[in-house]
Amino acid sequence: MDASSHAVFVNGELLKLHICQRVRTVVQVMQNEGGTVLGQSTDNQQLTVKGATSVPVTHFMEVIGVADGPQSILAEICTDFGSNFDAASFNGLCKLANGEFKNFYL
Amino acid sequence: MEKLPTEGGIATILANPNPDSGSDLPEIVLQVVDLRPIGNSSTRYTFMASDGKMKVKAMLPTHFASEINSGNLQNLGLIRVLDYTLNSIPNQTEKALIVTKCEVVASSFDSEIKSEVKKETEMENEAIKAKKEEAAPSIVLKPKQEPIVKSAMQIVKEERGNAAPAARLSMTRRVHPLVSLNPYQGNWTIKVRVTNKGNLRTYRNVKGEGHVFNVELTDEDGTQIQATMFNEAAKKFYPKFELGKVYYISKGSLRIANKQFKTVQNDYEMTLNENAIVEEAEGEVFIPETKYNFVKIDQLGSYVNSRELIDVIGIVQNVSSTLSIRRKSDNETIPKRDITIADDSNKTVVVSLWNDLATNIGQELLDIVDTSPVVAIKSLKVGEFQGVSLSTVSKSVVQINPDLPEAHKLRTWYDSEGKGASMASIGSDMASPNTKNGSRSMYSDRVFLSHITSDPSLGHDKPEFFSINAYISLIKGDQNMWYRACKTCNKKVSEASESGYWCEACGKSDDQCSLRYIMVLKVSDPTGEAWLSVFNEQAEKIIGCSADELERIKNEEGDDQYQMKLKEAMWVPHLFRVSVTQNEYMGEKRQRITVRSQALVDPTTESKYLLEEIAKLSV
Repeated sequence: MDASSHAVFVNGELLKLHICQRVRTVVQVMQNEGGTVLGQSTDNQQLTVKGATSVPVTHFMEVIGVADGPQSILAEICTDFGSNFDAASFNGLCKLANGEFKNFYL
Repeated sequence: MEKLPTEGGIATILANPNPDSGSDLPEIVLQVVDLRPIGNSSTRYTFMASDGKMKVKAMLPTHFASEINSGNLQNLGLIRVLDYTLNSIPNQTEKALIVTKCEVVASSFDSEIKSEVKKETEMENEAIKAKKEEAAPSIVLKPKQEPIVKSAMQIVKEERGNAAPAARLSMTRRVHPLVSLNPYQGNWTIKVRVTNKGNLRTYRNVKGEGHVFNVELTDEDGTQIQATMFNEAAKKFYPKFELGKVYYISKGSLRIANKQFKTVQNDYEMTLNENAIVEEAEGEVFIPETKYNFVKIDQLGSYVNSRELIDVIGIVQNVSSTLSIRRKSDNETIPKRDITIADDSNKTVVVSLWNDLATNIGQELLDIVDTSPVVAIKSLKVGEFQGVSLSTVSKSVVQINPDLPEAHKLRTWYDSEGKGASMASIGSDMASPNTKNGSRSMYSDRVFLSHITSDPSLGHDKPEFFSINAYISLIKGDQNMWYRACKTCNKKVSEASESGYWCEACGKSDDQCSLRYIMVLKVSDPTGEAWLSVFNEQAEKIIGCSADELERIKNEEGDDQYQMKLKEAMWVPHLFRVSVTQNEYMGEKRQRITVRSQALVDPTTESKYLLEEIAKLSV
């Protein structure tokens, strides 16, 4: 697995472009069972987070880990972002970080 | 002694580049042709050494210079070469003859001596004849002619002779486009039309009295530049430059344009002094292409009250009838017509057409308004009537349905979406910059600190308003942070003789007063920093307590606690609505930035704003 130290900002759509790479994203927790979290990405896609710490449902959670599938992340670090989070702004950020300005985010 | 150059002298030299100084040299007399000093030196001379047939570039020894300076040896004179070295010039086939010792044979001659051509031709003919007569191909000895190696310079010089370089400008004139001018290349000539002529103004400064005047110049490509002349040059060129005429100009100097006084789109401005050359171009008629630099209607906010004239293009939605406005200054009535235009920033703006533009173009537009024509206007003044208003000036140019790519783009946009869209006037966004609704106005006229601090002329006659997002970087604890205020009217009170405070405005005294903040604090943003004046209402929100409370902390809890309170306010980002004015302080013009309203940065709204701005960057 390619575990370079920098994690790319991704949303649901962009995750599949970085399989086997270190990524970071924020999902809203939908379901929480036994170390696996089902989350909704900021562009309304379903993502699976394996090895996640327990974060209450409806809270936003940041995940930094390695993408192991087009809709799955193997978590290394999870952070509870609480309920006050602007998904739209984060989504905009992901697009910039992968689009024409991606050099600014390297 | 023969007073002629030695035949084959050059050949001899070429064959023997480095003779031993002691050995006897064959007699070599050469003619000194094209004698001239090297650069500004009076001791080093260069010339072409000629033997009548061949020439070689040569240099005279420095100690011989006195012979030239005294006139003993002149151009076309003869010298006998006593000692020399023939050097190879790197990268060139020709050689240089360095004469180390010589003597004058003849001081000058009437002309360059060339050996008889007749003799050569005769010899050639003989050789050919001999060739013909001999049946068998015997070796014909043709006189070996040394190839004459001439450098390009030699050829040019020979062709031109000693003609002086073309003195008249018109002979060597090569016109440069205005856009190619820069301060580092001074050798240019431009061909321009005077599209605006200012008045000859007199000013007074430390050095005394001076005169200045500007002209706006436009060349064939439509590029414009402002040229300024001072004092003698102003007086000299003021009568020379006439509006609308075309001139050839050279020997002006260029420098970066002063933003304060810029009226045309050019990074540089030109200054003409008395040495500048201005020649009227006879019979030249070119009409410079109108070059536009369009500003979208939703961007007009930052140009309000600026000196810079802007260009717009839009679809005409409405044309008013002609109004007669009476000018206050001389009671003259001028016609005016207002047209409303819209563009693809989905905003509308009103443009006031004055004088001829109102009567002529205005009427034309009224006639065709139903076809929603595209109109492009150059050189408009941006005012703040009803938020944002555009006004024509004497040099404004209006084009209806111009053949420009922007016009076609607008046409397509309007036909597809613009027609049906409901668009707001840009003015309504600007009309009330001081609404209590802080968040809305914090996003209009958003600028960086450098936009304010880099332009000292902002707010010189009317205050200008902006929003900024900046961090508080310094609150000086040792400034006068507050003043004693009347509890009723908030005006400053003075201490009366008996314990009490006298309020001039209310006409009464009170033994109690309140403290109100009046302070300056330093803010920083990614482009720079600035000092802002802050009054009570906003300062309370920034510091987090009233001035009375802060004084109590300072006196009762000690200076450390007081400083801590100030420190806690630092490095917090705020959105400020500020007014910028220019005032004079001790004879110097100073920029004063005052906070009118304040709000903490809301990350969500700010992020949305930033994403929008970034999206605009890539379009």
